[in-house]
Amino acid sequence: MSASGRVLDDLRRARRPMRFLGASGQLGYGIPTPAFNAGLAPRPDLIGCDMGSIDIGPTYLGKGEMATAPSATRRDLRKALLGARSIDVPLVIGSAGSAGAAPHLEATLAIIRDIARADGLHFRLGVLRADLSRDALRASVRAGAVNGIDDMPALTEEEVTEASHIVGQMGMGPFRRALAEDIDVLVAGRACDTAIFASLPTMLGFPTGLSVHMAKIVECASLCCVPGGRDSILATLDDDGFVLESMAEQRRATPVSVAAHSLYEQADPFTVYEPEGRLDLSDADYTAVDDRRCRVTGAAWRESTDPCVKIEGARRIGERAVLLAGAADPRFIAQHREILPAVATVVRDLVCEDAPEDYTLRFRVYGVDGVRMAAPAGEPPPGEVFVMGECIAPTAERAAEVVRTLKQYLLHHGYAGRLSTAGNLAFPFTPPEVSLGPAYRFNVYHLLRTPDPDALFPLEVEEV
Amino acid sequence: MKLSDIAQVIRSKNAGPRRLTLDLMFANEADYRRVAQAPTLSRESIGALYGLSADDVTVIPYPGGRAIKIVLARPVMAGDPGDRDVYGAQQHAPLLGVEI
Repeated sequence: MSASGRVLDDLRRARRPMRFLGASGQLGYGIPTPAFNAGLAPRPDLIGCDMGSIDIGPTYLGKGEMATAPSATRRDLRKALLGARSIDVPLVIGSAGSAGAAPHLEATLAIIRDIARADGLHFRLGVLRADLSRDALRASVRAGAVNGIDDMPALTEEEVTEASHIVGQMGMGPFRRALAEDIDVLVAGRACDTAIFASLPTMLGFPTGLSVHMAKIVECASLCCVPGGRDSILATLDDDGFVLESMAEQRRATPVSVAAHSLYEQADPFTVYEPEGRLDLSDADYTAVDDRRCRVTGAAWRESTDPCVKIEGARRIGERAVLLAGAADPRFIAQHREILPAVATVVRDLVCEDAPEDYTLRFRVYGVDGVRMAAPAGEPPPGEVFVMGECIAPTAERAAEVVRTLKQYLLHHGYAGRLSTAGNLAFPFTPPEVSLGPAYRFNVYHLLRTPDPDALFPLEVEEV
Repeated sequence: MKLSDIAQVIRSKNAGPRRLTLDLMFANEADYRRVAQAPTLSRESIGALYGLSADDVTVIPYPGGRAIKIVLARPVMAGDPGDRDVYGAQQHAPLLGVEI
């Protein structure tokens, strides 16, 4: 029997509190070994790792690339695989390869199969895919079953067609189907981080509210502790609550630190929306077990009658090239708001002499307003600025042409009162123009209403 | 007193690509209550700080975590052309100097 079957059997025969090891909130950025090993000792019933997020922006999803370095990803996956196999418990990985579309999932599976070969591991591998059928999605758009999230404009069939990848965030249903198939390792494409941990206990009748609340916390490893960190965390779940304990001695899960964690990256600290319903934390209660363990109770689950799947897609919008340069002349800095548009016009007149104005050119002036949404008026000018010119054009050649022209004319632009007639810019290196490859934007960030969300996420099982 | 003199944590991050969430956390009840009542943390004042209308600002007190959450509608979606902060992790800066 494989790991998920064994755990389900054990718990069904003799019900007891379950233990979950949140090994990593961002697999591929390093799993600290001492805490992970400490977490294996109490023999958790499941080891979970989240691998993805939408926070990293549209390019990884659009391009089909992982955000993490291949060698670091491999090191983390190997640690998690060897750990889970050494105690024969299910290893569950969600949002494979950063963005969870087919190329991310395939790249993750390739690493896993390679590790298995090299380390002589054999296991039953469950794979859940998250890519959505374009035809079905276009039909849903026509049927009015797709709505924008947070005022996202309505989805069109054209956007569905143009997206490089479109994934749905699967919930607990597909994970339960996979865990019921007697598997050792489960790798899911784009998935709710909660499903990684909450699917198994809810199969065994543990309360959904508590299971999802626990999952929401442990998917970030020890981030809920003081000091917060990425060390593995252990949760022990019973029918009335769960206890959190970081596997790193110096990290303490306190009532305030754990309660405060429900603020993290959430617009509403009392509600977490999932495909199958919503987690209601209005009556959640946090109490200290001792100075480094916290017991959490009170989370309620409100089942939805109208299941929804969050869908994400990214569309290529051109090729990006940037100019990177600094400046320290106070007169240049004082006049940069006039100089930059003037040079942009010079560039346009040159590069559009025999070609359409088919690109965008934007500036960020770091030191002034490169970072903030609305820099206040009247701030004293800085002693130095960093200027980034960013061009997005239909082709890489065109984007490079624009930023190279920009470099030359910004360097030598004459402005009122100029003393530094040999050049306006300090280049940290040359070439200061960098081609960054294709640029993407999120063109799908919507809710798809569908009577059977689980059917969107097919399961494959293979013997590795 | 400035908010940065009284808060234990002042942070910002995306809550999805279209929202920014700013968390203010406090060491004790008294600090939390003092800031939660401050008029400089009204939706209008925060909106003015970020160049947004009050309709794009939500302020949620969270007494259990001795925290206040502020949610802003992002004028530019994360990663769209013109975005300045894809993760939204540096948008807390304007709050630091707010007078309490």
